[in-house]
Amino acid sequence: MITDFPSSPLALPDPADLTAELAEFGGAAMIPKEVRRTIFPVITKEDVFNLLLAQRSDAAKVVDGFAEEYRAYVGARRALPTASGTSSLHLALVGAGVQPGDEVIVPAFTFIATAQAVVAAKAIPVFVDIDPLTYCMSPEAAAAAITDRARALMPVHVHGLPADVPALRALADRHGLALVEDASHAHSAKIGDRVAGSFGDAAGQSLMADKNFPLGGEGGIAFFDSDEGYDRAADYLERHGIDYGMSWVAGAFGSSQLKRLPYYDAIRARNASLLAAALRETGLFTPPHVPEGHTHAYNMYRIGLDPAAVDLGDLPVWAVKEAVHELLTAEGVPAREWQNTPIPCHLPFRERSGFGNGYPFTLNPAAVRDHAPTDFPTIVAMLESTVVLCRELRSPVEWERVSRYADAFRKVAARPDAIRKLVAEREYVRPYEKAARLG
Amino acid sequence: MEQFDTALVLSRVLTSGVVMSIEKNDRELPALERLLTKRTRRSKAILVNSRSAAVHAALTGQDIGHGDTAELPAAATGRDRAFVDWVGVTATAPADGAAPAPAFDLITLTPENAADLASAAADATAPTLVVDLTGLGFGPAAAVLTDDAGVWTRGERLKIFGAFDLRTMWTQEEAEPGLAPGVQFNYRLSPLVAACARMALAQAGTRSAEKTGDTPR
Ligand SMILES: Cc1ncc(COP(=O)(O)O)c(C=O)c1O
Repeated sequence: MITDFPSSPLALPDPADLTAELAEFGGAAMIPKEVRRTIFPVITKEDVFNLLLAQRSDAAKVVDGFAEEYRAYVGARRALPTASGTSSLHLALVGAGVQPGDEVIVPAFTFIATAQAVVAAKAIPVFVDIDPLTYCMSPEAAAAAITDRARALMPVHVHGLPADVPALRALADRHGLALVEDASHAHSAKIGDRVAGSFGDAAGQSLMADKNFPLGGEGGIAFFDSDEGYDRAADYLERHGIDYGMSWVAGAFGSSQLKRLPYYDAIRARNASLLAAALRETGLFTPPHVPEGHTHAYNMYRIGLDPAAVDLGDLPVWAVKEAVHELLTAEGVPAREWQNTPIPCHLPFRERSGFGNGYPFTLNPAAVRDHAPTDFPTIVAMLESTVVLCRELRSPVEWERVSRYADAFRKVAARPDAIRKLVAEREYVRPYEKAARLG
Repeated sequence: MEQFDTALVLSRVLTSGVVMSIEKNDRELPALERLLTKRTRRSKAILVNSRSAAVHAALTGQDIGHGDTAELPAAATGRDRAFVDWVGVTATAPADGAAPAPAFDLITLTPENAADLASAAADATAPTLVVDLTGLGFGPAAAVLTDDAGVWTRGERLKIFGAFDLRTMWTQEEAEPGLAPGVQFNYRLSPLVAACARMALAQAGTRSAEKTGDTPR
C-alpha cells in the first residue's frame, strides 16, 4: 500500500492494562508495535487539489500569497518567505541590523540551527543558561552576558512556549539591543492575544515538515517589525547573490494547511491538557509549566521527573530518567531526549572553523568561549530530569492514542521497583556524557 | 513537463505521506541522486535547495573557505560571483597563458536544455559540477556532482542533517579528524521538489553524444 492510512485501529484504553506486567519484562505493550506509527503531517484531498491548482498560477504569486496570509495570521508587519527556518533566522538577524563581528545572545539550549544562523550572519553566538521553569532564555543570564559588542538578544520560544518577552524586551531597550525571536517551535503560541513571531524587531520561523505548521518539506519565514528591517534583509539577498527563496510547492501546501492550523492547535491543546491531568496524578511525572497569559503551542512536550515523589530520591535523577525512558519506549511511547548537551558543546562550536579559517569567530575573539556542559547548570539539570514527546500530541493523534500514552506513564510511575532494578543493573551515564545529538 | 505529469508526481508523493527530507523512508531524494549521478557519470551527488547553496557546497567540499581563493567558471554570473565573495572566497583568473581550471563547472538547466545534461556533464572537467535545477520550474533546487568522496563528505556536512548526521543517528561526532562541520545551513531539498525535478529530467531523456550520432544539440 502506498497510502499513509493506519493499518489497524488502536484498542480503547482498558484499566486492566495499567496493572499488567511492564512491556520491558515481557508484558503486553501499552501501544502495540503494529500501531505505533504517528502519521504526520495530515495531508488531505484538499491539499492535493490545491497543489495541483497552484501549477496553473505564477510561482511567485503562490509563494507571496502564502506569505501574506500567514503574515496576517501572525500579525507581523512584514514577511519574507524562505527555503528554511535557518535561512529565515539568518535574515531576521540581518534585518535587525546585526553586523559581522557583533555578539548575539542565544540560549545554550535550542536546536543547533539557532546558533548556526548567527554564524551565517557572521556574528558570534554568546550562549547563556535558561530559566528552570520555562526552559527559555533566562533574562538574568542574558543581562549578565551583555557587552559593548552585543547587538541582539535572540530568545527561542522553545518547545512552543513563548520566552519571557516583556523582561527581554525591557532588557534589550535598556541596552539598545535588537530582539530577534526564534519562533520555530511556536506557531500560534501567544502571550495575551499576540502571536509569536510578532513580538520582536524580527523573527525567524521554521516551517519544515516536522513542525506544528508544516509546508510539506522544507520552508521558513522571516518576520519584521519595520519596513527598514524587511528592506535590509531583501537588499542583503540581492547584494550577496544568496538564493533563499521558497518553492511554490511549499507555498501552495502552506496556504492549504494554514486553514486547518486552528484545528491542529486545538487538538494539541486538548491532548496536552489530557496528558497533564494524568501526569499530575502520578507524582513521578510533571507536565510543562505554562506561565499565566501564555499559550503553549506544544511542538514538544517536556515532562519532568520527581523521583523523591515515588521514594526514589536516593537515586541520581539522570539514572531514573534513563530507566523511565527505557520502560516507556518498551510500552510504545516514543519518548526522546531532544538535546543531550548544551549547543556550545557540539562540534561546530568546539572547533569553530565557521566559514573557514575560523571566520567570523576571528572577528571578535573576546566573545568566544570554550564551554563545558556544567557552565549551564539549569540546562544540565533539565536534560538530566526530563523526557520529551514530540509528534505524540499532534493531530491526527486521536483520543484513544493519547489516552494510551497517558496510561503508559501511569503504568511506569506505579513501578518504582522496576525503575530501581534497571538503575541497579544498567550502566547509565549522564546525558552529556553521550555523543552530542542534534535532535 | 506537462502539468498532468507534475500532478501525478505530486499526488503520488503526497499520498505516500513521506514529505520530510530527513525521513528514513524517503525515496525521492535518493532517486534524484541516482538519476543525476547516472546521467552525469559522476559517482556522488549532493542535493541542495538552491544554486547558491550548490556553489557553496562545491567550494566547501574542496575545503575552499573564507580567506581562500578559487577560479570560477566562465558560466558564473554576477550573482554567483557576489555569492562567492560573500562566502569569503576571492575569485582568481587563470594564470597568463594557462588553460582555465575552475574549481567547479556550472550547468543551468531549463526544460529546453534538460536533455543535454549528459553531454554537458561529459564536457565538464572541473573537480566538481554544479547543476542548477531551478529552471525546471519547481522552485530553487540544485546539485553538486563529484567523483571525490571527500568532496561529497564535506559538502554534505555543510547541511544540517546532511547524509552524515542521519547516518550517525544525528550525532556529529566524526572519527576522521578535519571533518568536523563549521558553519552549517539548512540547504536540504524537499522530497516533493526533488520528485518533480526528477520527473522533468527523466522525461527530457538524454541527448548524449552517443545517442545523437555525435551531434549534441
Ligand atoms: C528552535 C529551532 N530553530 C531553528 C530551526 C531550523 O529550522 P529549519 O530546519 O527549517 O531550517 C529548528 C528546526 O529545525 C528549530 O527547532
